[in-house]
Amino acid sequence: MNYATTQKQEELRAKVRAFAEAEIKPFSFEWDKGNVFPSEVVRKMADLGIMGLPYPKEYGGAGLDVTSYAIAVEELSRVDAGVGVILSAHTSLGTYPIAAYGTEEQKQKYLVPLAKGEKLGAFGLTEPNAGSDASGTETTAVLQDDCYLLNGEKIFITNGGEADIYVIFAVTTPGIGSRGISAFIIEKGMPGFEFGDHYDKLGIRSSATAQLLFNNVRVPKENLLGREGQGFKIAMNTLDGGRIGIAAQALGISQGAYESAVEYAKERVQFRKPIAFHQAISFKIADMATKIRASRMLVYSAAELKQNHEPYAMEAAMAKQYASDTAVEVSNEALQIYGGNGYLKGMDVERFYRDAKITTIYEGTNEIQRVVIAASILGKEPKDTSAPLFQQQPNVTGARKKKIIKEGTAAERVDELVKDLKKDGYDFTVGIPKDTPITQAERVVSAGKGIGPKENMKLIEDLAEAAGAAIGSSRPVAETLHYVPLNRYVGMSGQKFSGNLYIACGISGAVQHLKGIREASTIVAINKNPNAPIFKNCDYGIVGDVNEVLPLLTKALDTGKKKPAPPMKKIRRAQPKKMKPPYSLYVCDGCGYEYDAAIGDPAADIRPGTLFEKLPEDWVCPECAEPKANFTKVE
Amino acid sequence: MHCVRQVTDNLWWVGANDHRTHLFENIHPIPKGVSYNAYLLKDRQNVLFDTVDWSACRQMLENIEYLLAGAKLDALVVNHLEPDHAASLQEVLLRYPECRIYCTEKGFMLMHQFGFQTEGHETIEVKEGDTACFGDHTVTFVQAQMVHWPEAMVTFDTTNGVLFSADAFGSFIALDGKLFNDEVNYDRDWIDESRRYLTNIVGKYGPHIQKLLKKAAPLLPQIKYICPLHGLVWRSNFDYLLDKYQHWSIYEPEEKAVMICYASMYGNTEAAAQALAAKLAELGVTNTVVYDVSNTHVSYLISETFRVSHIVLASVTYNLGIYPVMHNYLMDMKALNLQNRTFAIIENGSWACKSGDLMQDFLNNELKGMTVLNERLSLASSMKEEQANELTALAEAIKASLDES
Repeated sequence: MNYATTQKQEELRAKVRAFAEAEIKPFSFEWDKGNVFPSEVVRKMADLGIMGLPYPKEYGGAGLDVTSYAIAVEELSRVDAGVGVILSAHTSLGTYPIAAYGTEEQKQKYLVPLAKGEKLGAFGLTEPNAGSDASGTETTAVLQDDCYLLNGEKIFITNGGEADIYVIFAVTTPGIGSRGISAFIIEKGMPGFEFGDHYDKLGIRSSATAQLLFNNVRVPKENLLGREGQGFKIAMNTLDGGRIGIAAQALGISQGAYESAVEYAKERVQFRKPIAFHQAISFKIADMATKIRASRMLVYSAAELKQNHEPYAMEAAMAKQYASDTAVEVSNEALQIYGGNGYLKGMDVERFYRDAKITTIYEGTNEIQRVVIAASILGKEPKDTSAPLFQQQPNVTGARKKKIIKEGTAAERVDELVKDLKKDGYDFTVGIPKDTPITQAERVVSAGKGIGPKENMKLIEDLAEAAGAAIGSSRPVAETLHYVPLNRYVGMSGQKFSGNLYIACGISGAVQHLKGIREASTIVAINKNPNAPIFKNCDYGIVGDVNEVLPLLTKALDTGKKKPAPPMKKIRRAQPKKMKPPYSLYVCDGCGYEYDAAIGDPAADIRPGTLFEKLPEDWVCPECAEPKANFTKVE
Repeated sequence: MHCVRQVTDNLWWVGANDHRTHLFENIHPIPKGVSYNAYLLKDRQNVLFDTVDWSACRQMLENIEYLLAGAKLDALVVNHLEPDHAASLQEVLLRYPECRIYCTEKGFMLMHQFGFQTEGHETIEVKEGDTACFGDHTVTFVQAQMVHWPEAMVTFDTTNGVLFSADAFGSFIALDGKLFNDEVNYDRDWIDESRRYLTNIVGKYGPHIQKLLKKAAPLLPQIKYICPLHGLVWRSNFDYLLDKYQHWSIYEPEEKAVMICYASMYGNTEAAAQALAAKLAELGVTNTVVYDVSNTHVSYLISETFRVSHIVLASVTYNLGIYPVMHNYLMDMKALNLQNRTFAIIENGSWACKSGDLMQDFLNNELKGMTVLNERLSLASSMKEEQANELTALAEAIKASLDES
């Protein structure tokens, strides 16, 4: 290993540093404050030739090494970690899988513009139920003729909404866990591919992070990346490399915070000398510098291993874990050195302090990094032969009828809904005031972001009037859009609704919102996105535009002036259905002992999840030693 | 004095009735008694199919002696080794030294474990499908593992269509002179005790009953008589009996009915249970039964639970737990593999009401396929007038669930 960078690498560093100081530094505070994605700077980075540093020149790249790429991310992050991650997500996550697994056609079509920086890339793996554990992926891709039909959602996607090309992971073979996942190249603008929430983050606010929604997106067959079922491998290999990028980002944050703190400590005088020369501060500086140097060695050595095509997954994980823990520590100490001044908006250490935290979380939490490192040292856990176990996936809102009304015109669907509600015992001749506190309301009509512009709140008010309900909302409608006061948003962190009828209009159904309506007797969902989680958590659903459905529903429920509602009587909730496990039980002919795959036979080292068919041939009944052959299948 | 009845040509019932035993297997009350059935075939060879409980030994020996009239007994077929049938085996062997013994491998093992001496007798270990010829009559042996013991078999006489079915198709109630199913009003007088016998004794082994029923299905057209070791001999209306066995062995209810079981210390929980029964009747649900678990033997509760579709458990909290008798009922349900029922819960507690959650957890986690209705009635010491709404909601939920099922 080289313990020093090359001259060429240092020249690149100087170039990127000069660019960052001139083009980024003056605006960082503004971007951070306003959550602004610096599109212009991204274009300039393309002109600078740093959008495809580690990719071959014939594919539009710079033909440099991985260390050069790490240096570029480091230098950008030294000034603005949000810009750093734009480059990192683009290069390591959006571009790498195509460079490594793409066909020649795919490389020509996608790698070239990505490496040149004409197009921006992103990577979509994380979902609400698939974070560290990718086997929980729920986005599906079904082959129909010459296209894959994609449905589902991705969350927390860096460059989401801004990127042009996305590598997306979806399940092509359900029920077999991570081996059923495949990778696809998706272009912005494909019909049905939309962007949901743009997250309001603690830090790295100049980078865009969004939710991706796929509703029957037709993806040409030739956009399958690698083979079917290879997705998990592609994702894991990509993340290995991505960790070098994040480690470099963390390193840059540390470096930036450190330099700022040292400079400040040399200027700030207390007790007649610069505080840097008080031992309390000088020791801090010594520790910070030591840890930064250790981080840098880890990052560059992992990059070098990757460049030389040697195994580097463990080293990349070590670099990411250590450099990010260091970034949190160093930025914390830097702010401490600044004292009260560092606590103020506009100070770069205040921003570094917030930016640093994400590096211990994304691209694999630092807990997962330790899993990766430990697995490289210890190998895999003894092989688990267990089959995917039967688990009844509980809904966030508990058992629900999930009747999605699809047939007929909008008016017919609304009529059917009203009929169902009346059958359940709802009396719409009575009602409660619209301003009844959510926690005391028997009925609530609630608005989500899908309601659209503020004037559409009239639709909600009219419906609440007609349904005899109070008005509620999702969190963003109250907090970000300010359509209703804060005390009217429903959710785990807001008001909890425990009355009877909850009508969710344009609410997609974030987990924290659903947790606030668990106790509702009946949940009605109206949303134009058929894949919105609210539909899996409702009793009745109508897929449709609020502009069309709400006026119809208002008309159908309108009975003129409502009589005051009698004391609330809870309406009957949907009854959870008990499902039989998909595997058979077997009972022993010698004693009646029942073998249940969910339990296994721990005394004989048979793990839970082992199907009877998979038991070793010499396995015998744990109770009476009858051989496996003398078991009767429970039909 | 002998007391025998002829089953068909050459075949006699040589068992005995018992009204003295209070507890069958020393656990289940038998107020109407029980019979121990043994059968004697007189062919060129004389064959005894099973023996009887020790208490009925003398009667059986007199019966055999009378029918043999000095002839020797050539063979003894032991379908089931449980001592209420096999206890008199030694006495038979002592009296008939030339008697051969037919039994399964596990049967012989149990025979020796129980201390029976077979020295000097020819022992023939039979397997599935083996046959034996006694003259005109040829029998086939069919294994019936875990109905409800592992050694059990049934024996089919291919000559006259008699199935010696061991404990399968047996029942409580002493015969008291009658022998055949068509000599009694079965649906009025026998079905409840037949169900109580089967569900409590063999209830756990539904899959093995199913296995035996499947094996017997091809023989069905040839079967003319079913001769169990307790209760009546069947010679007609097999469909009725098989339909009951089908329901019991796949744990499906026989009928849409509600059983309210209450555990009440001072009558408050009982009052709620009664109010619920009345409310159900008002709603038109009258196929209901109400039991006090404290004075109803659990074997009756189990039997009724196999019959009905819906069960209401009403229990006080006792030592921060489920009332012990109610808990015992739940544990018996688990032991007997009861499945696929719908439950409603009434709980009572005066300072820390726990019984509802605990019963629900038990039903959800310890039993299979049990649905618990959302509507739960919680009582703080006693039910209040203000809870009338909740009671109605509970009754309506039960009715709705009955209507859906």
